Amino acid sequence: MTNASPFLSVRKVSKEFGGENRADSPIKVVDNVSMDIDEGEFVVYLGPSGCGKTTLLRIVSGLESASAGDILLSGNAVTGPDRKKGMVFQAYASFPWLSVLDNIKFGTRYRTDIGDKEKAEISKYYLHLVGLGDYADFFVNRISGGMRQRVAIARTLAAAPDILLMDEPFGALDAQTREFLQEQLLEICRVEKKAVIFVTHDVEEAVFLADRAFMFSARPARIVEEIDIASVLGAERDSRTKESEAFFNLRNHVRELMRKQAQQNI
Amino acid sequence: MTEAASEVVVRGRRQLVSLLTFRGRRHARADFVLGVIAFAIFIAAWYFIVIAGIVPERFLPLPSTVIQTMLRLLTESHFLNDIWVSVARVWGAFLLSVVFAVPIGVWMSNYRLVAALLEPIVDFIRYLPVPALVPLLIIWFGIGEASKIAVLWMGTFFQLVLLVADDAKRIPREFVESGFTLGAKPFQITRDILLPAMLPNLVDNLRITLGWCWTWIIVAEIVAAKSGIGHYIWSMRRFLKTPEVMSGILVIGIIGLLTDQAIRAWHRRHFRYL
Ligand SMILES: Nc1ncnc2c1ncn2[C@@H]1O[C@H](COP(=O)(O)OP(=O)(O)OP(=O)(O)O)[C@@H](O)[C@H]1O
Ligand SMILES: [Mg+2]
Repeated sequence: MTNASPFLSVRKVSKEFGGENRADSPIKVVDNVSMDIDEGEFVVYLGPSGCGKTTLLRIVSGLESASAGDILLSGNAVTGPDRKKGMVFQAYASFPWLSVLDNIKFGTRYRTDIGDKEKAEISKYYLHLVGLGDYADFFVNRISGGMRQRVAIARTLAAAPDILLMDEPFGALDAQTREFLQEQLLEICRVEKKAVIFVTHDVEEAVFLADRAFMFSARPARIVEEIDIASVLGAERDSRTKESEAFFNLRNHVRELMRKQAQQNI
Repeated sequence: MTEAASEVVVRGRRQLVSLLTFRGRRHARADFVLGVIAFAIFIAAWYFIVIAGIVPERFLPLPSTVIQTMLRLLTESHFLNDIWVSVARVWGAFLLSVVFAVPIGVWMSNYRLVAALLEPIVDFIRYLPVPALVPLLIIWFGIGEASKIAVLWMGTFFQLVLLVADDAKRIPREFVESGFTLGAKPFQITRDILLPAMLPNLVDNLRITLGWCWTWIIVAEIVAAKSGIGHYIWSMRRFLKTPEVMSGILVIGIIGLLTDQAIRAWHRRHFRYL
């Protein structure tokens, strides 16, 4: 065991739902999951529908509490949600009563480490980083789904989280927008050097984005396999990555794993 | 036929088709024209009933008589005073309702404890018929202003508090959770996310509540009052002054309509993003 504590540590986390009322027996959703994540690492959670990925991500964020086990962020136990654990939801969680820029600025609202002038600057910076410079004054329901998801990402980044938690953020988008945003996200991560946990059940998306991917079993979620993707594909990805043979092989391997787990679900 | 004329015919036909389509598109102009037509038919039927002698004019005066009476009354200070008194009572009681209902409703949606404590009792009182409470409220508060305000408050607060709690509860969970993961405390989430998110619905519900106030004020003023539109209508009834009675009713309708339209206009302007 090394002395330095890992950046994010998931330690023997389990979660059961229900059982508060005597009538319903508790269902186990996450089963004894452990993993360490490094600073700046891009981790993907893959698994069949309903297996418990969202639940695990919510436990990491502090929005949900674990039934057993701990989450440690930079050595400190996670006890509830806060600005350090930024969350991007699958549904559009940007605020309809605010403009694009004001939504992004909302991310800085509760920061005490910077003043008003910096907040305004940071908001503008992220507005441009996600490529929405021309849409600053638009209300968010006047822009496309892909743009709204970029607003959500920018807003989360503006809060300066230590880690970015993303629950199928591109799930509701069409294939083209999705690919565009995947590349944009990698670019943002290169600039920001933030750790990311990204949930998806799109295998291609997983392999393209991940440094490391975790395949979970059908419910209750257990780690079936940890796939070190960076060591095969390298850290740098671009649009040609998807055409390489290494990518092809990895994708087939992961797809096979996914199929096996999904079958157990039925 | 000229090109312009045939254009009009084509457009007219298209609008007619869309008016008859199941859940068809809305045409502001066609809607307006239809509204005017229906209203004209109503007035015409009214004239017919009176002129044909189906109903004696003593019970149903001509529309023009009602309008003339109303215009005359609007120049008389006692009538204007009655209007003012009723408007003041309605708005006073309404604001008093809002001041209590909004914070308590939001609080009920935020904390299960508050909801569990208050919901049963609010629900119970909500179903008590307000007119039945009037005698009791007069015993308690006398026949002065306090009892009018009490009637209106009883008639609106308990409804409004549940509407507010419902509006607050319907805010997407992601909004609240976004707040937490951006570092907001519960009171900040309430102030910066819940309230702005529910505001459009809230304003709609307030508008509807204000309408109820006008119902209850007449009830209260008929039973026990020395002033107000309700009192005026009731005292004119005694002399069978039907045009005056109808004028009073009409004035309430006009005030209600104007307020409602003003709030709607403000709503459209303020919540452009909807
Ligand atoms: N609050 C809750 N109470 C009870 N059961 C819950 C709760 N939240 C989730 N579950 C159950 O836990 C299981 C896992 O849900 P979860 O949303 O974590 O799955 P998921 O892997 O994210 O699925 P998907 O891929 O469809 O998003 C599901 O069976 C779900 O019904
Ligand atoms: Mg999920």
